[in-house]
Amino acid sequence: MKDFISVSPLKVLERSSEQILGPGNLGVLVARAGVGKTACLIHIAFDKIFRKEKLVHVSLEEGPDKVASYYRVIYHDLLKALNVEDDHEYRELLERNRMTLAYINQSFDLKRLQANLRNLTERLGFRPSTLIVDGLDFEETEREVFEELKKVAGEFEVEIWFSALSHRHITETSEMGIPYPVHKLDDLFTIIMQLQPGQTGIFLKLLKDHDGYSVPEGSMRLDPNTFLALD
Amino acid sequence: MDEIRKLRNIGISAHIDSGKTTLTERILYFTKRIFAIHEVKGKDGVGATMDSMELEKERGITIASAATHCEWKGHRINIIDTPGHVDFTIEVERALRVMDGAVLILCSVGGVQSQSITVDRQMKRYEVPRIAFINKCDRAGADPYKVVDQLREKLGHNAVFMQIPIGLESELSGIVDLVSMKALYFEGPNGDEVRTGEIPPSMVDEAMLKREELLDAASMFSDDLMEAILEENPTPDLIHEAVRNGTVSRHLTPVFLGSAYKNIGVQAVLDGINRYLPSPPDVKNAALDIDRDEAEVPLETDPDKPVVALAFKLEVTPYGQLTYLRIYQGSIGKGDDITLTRTGRKIKVGRLVRMHAEQMEDLTSAKAGDIVALFGVDCYSGDTFTSGGLNYTMSSMFVPEPVISLSISPEDNKSQTNMSKALNRFVREDPTFRSYVDQESGETIISGMGELHLEVYVERMKREFSARVTTGMPQVAYREAITRRADFDYTHKKQTGGSGQFGRVTGFMEPSEESAYEFVNQIKGGVIPTEYIPAVDKGFQSCLNKGAALGFPVVGMKVTINDGKSHSVDSSELAFTQAAIGAFKQAYIKARPVILEPVMKVSVEGPSEFQGSIMGSINQRRGLITSSTEDGDFTTIDAEVPLAEMFGYATVLRSLTQGRAEFTMEFLKYSRVPRSLSEELKANLRGKSRGEKKS
Ligand SMILES: Nc1nc2c(ncn2[C@@H]2O[C@H](COP(=O)(O)OP(=O)(O)O)[C@@H](O)[C@H]2O)c(=O)[nH]1
Repeated sequence: MKDFISVSPLKVLERSSEQILGPGNLGVLVARAGVGKTACLIHIAFDKIFRKEKLVHVSLEEGPDKVASYYRVIYHDLLKALNVEDDHEYRELLERNRMTLAYINQSFDLKRLQANLRNLTERLGFRPSTLIVDGLDFEETEREVFEELKKVAGEFEVEIWFSALSHRHITETSEMGIPYPVHKLDDLFTIIMQLQPGQTGIFLKLLKDHDGYSVPEGSMRLDPNTFLALD
Repeated sequence: MDEIRKLRNIGISAHIDSGKTTLTERILYFTKRIFAIHEVKGKDGVGATMDSMELEKERGITIASAATHCEWKGHRINIIDTPGHVDFTIEVERALRVMDGAVLILCSVGGVQSQSITVDRQMKRYEVPRIAFINKCDRAGADPYKVVDQLREKLGHNAVFMQIPIGLESELSGIVDLVSMKALYFEGPNGDEVRTGEIPPSMVDEAMLKREELLDAASMFSDDLMEAILEENPTPDLIHEAVRNGTVSRHLTPVFLGSAYKNIGVQAVLDGINRYLPSPPDVKNAALDIDRDEAEVPLETDPDKPVVALAFKLEVTPYGQLTYLRIYQGSIGKGDDITLTRTGRKIKVGRLVRMHAEQMEDLTSAKAGDIVALFGVDCYSGDTFTSGGLNYTMSSMFVPEPVISLSISPEDNKSQTNMSKALNRFVREDPTFRSYVDQESGETIISGMGELHLEVYVERMKREFSARVTTGMPQVAYREAITRRADFDYTHKKQTGGSGQFGRVTGFMEPSEESAYEFVNQIKGGVIPTEYIPAVDKGFQSCLNKGAALGFPVVGMKVTINDGKSHSVDSSELAFTQAAIGAFKQAYIKARPVILEPVMKVSVEGPSEFQGSIMGSINQRRGLITSSTEDGDFTTIDAEVPLAEMFGYATVLRSLTQGRAEFTMEFLKYSRVPRSLSEELKANLRGKSRGEKKS
């Protein structure tokens, strides 16, 4: 799936200093409700899967059936947008390289996540390179949890991508221009991106990139329907 | 609408022997449906009402009902019989589907046993809100407190006492109601009179404590109650409303207790059913729209909309076939036309009845939400009826191919007859259950969707039909499929004295994802005369039953014929059928057939501490784990596992988890058997054909 990687939203990282987020690091996608955080996260997931890496999708709201159906929908959109045929090999990659860990009815806690990840490696030999964490409430989550999650990323040698919900009416930012609700956590996140609807599409802006803030030229336009890179 | 709000469709479910029959009978007695209490299976030879076919046959008027109607304090209650066997079959599934709520009975001595776990999981899967009744508090060793702990720990319920017992074991004399803070005693010969009294002084402290717990739990589901508690004025109505919210949303399980046998606490359970279990409009139901690729459409408990009803149970009675219906939407009246979705046929509603314990009531009409029965309707159970041109079905019309089979043989002549009766009946009830006689061995083969599925029917054959049968080893239903295109050009020619046989077919076979078999005729200029084309098709089809690779049925093949030759004298249908058979054989191996095996969607649920061992056990079985879901203290692991690897898994799982995990499986798809295993399979089959037949 070379075609896909060339239009993946993660292409924005080609403009970043190190090109990737990297194991042990946390990355976050900030956007207002309804802009398409989940879709964009799933594109990040496909990018990894089609590079034949393994991925764990951690869902804090939806059950695994819902998650699977999101992947199916986006997969089909992707095939359509790229004009490629459905292929047994792709589907097998999708099945074998993705695992969903769902935590419903407020069951999420760090100890459990760690135990679950350990079981995946020890019992199944499933070693992910990436965790996608969708639905974590940044406003309600203590700073310590993120510190711990950073340790988890180090321990399991994974990069972790989050989505964070921002609000139109809260304009608070950190000194370096990092928006609410990540403004007080920016030291913990290696990459911070913002998804913003604009006149000609949706813009993915790189706000923090490893050691650099407000990355020049670090903005990319995405197709508002498919979330694929336009330029 | 008010009327519908006062309707309850409930099930009563329990571990065997915890008192389901006794409680049901008491309920029917207190609601004045039966007029005497008999001891269950007692010495007067009279059994409890729901359970005893024998009694009913004798009296000749009543029928063992799948649903019984009764009334309690202005509410109408339909009690749906949950089949005694707890294994997951389509019959249980349908009963669970039509109930809106349930009473889970637990024995105060035995507590939460493995069967209660299974039953409870099923209810959870079908999103059935429950209240619990801890029965047999009069027995030695009764410990309702332990049972509530188990409800929390083993079943993950947010269980809360609505009552506490006054005395236990032989001292049990009544209950304290924690909402009204009164003691309730059940007096008169059969406990008919409920006397309210003050809480015994020695119990006041405990009652206060348990009430606090109840208020704490209930206030999570009502801001009004929360406020009232702060103002120190939580009224009974506010508490009832909060408990109801919690129960209907399946976040709270109110616990009742007593002794059905000693008539203690039964009326309070009835009150609980009215107060806390949902009415039909409180529950979401959906149908599938066949015209829109079975898209889900929500149904409304509205008597004025077009009819959507599900036939959930058939019963053969002396008066003819009785079909139990749950009406989800619309109204059905005597003389109305309704359409059977499966056949598209219109049916005139003749006799419409409601079943009471000891009689049948004729109705002129029935409305959305209700459960009624129809006489003389020819249908299967699971069928959907509609009106107003809706092409809806309550369950998917897609019937999967069976994945497992088993030979059965009757032990004696009587069993032979009974077995045939049973098989006829099961096939009507359950489209995934099949039965046929194997041409080669003469054995009767039953096939279905899993080991358990077949076991349940064998068990029912024994119990309900007194057919004693022995069974063979379960066999996985393998299939064969080709993987590439291969051409054929075959001439069948025979010259035996007079007129000969001649036919030639040319074309190719290729894999097809769409269908099991497809035949395409591209013959031009009549090189094979049109009248012989069906014979060619027939020839190919006759080869599909036994593939040439290992003798398994062939699926997913498209055959195209594009050329051929005939002879004006010697060609015949037979000759072309033979030619097609020859062509099939010629091309089949070239088309690289592989063996397919059924893969099941397996879901294992158990306490989270076992996640690792459960994952390991699935991994060992060539399983692919797709997700793991944490919910409270429980983990559910979803996986895809080849059926052949699942034999005996129940035992393995039980020992891995001390019996605290459960699994379900259903057919998912056919997948290619890995090469190494298909070699093994070949070797086994060769051994078998040399006479090492498994029995
Ligand atoms: N001591 C006592 N025995 C009971 C009670 N309820 C039922 N039983 C007895 O337990 C046995 C099983 O009851 P039954 O209602 O047939 O249970 P089912 O198998 O769940 O339908 C019978 O012998 C009943 O008489 C109870 O509350 N107390």
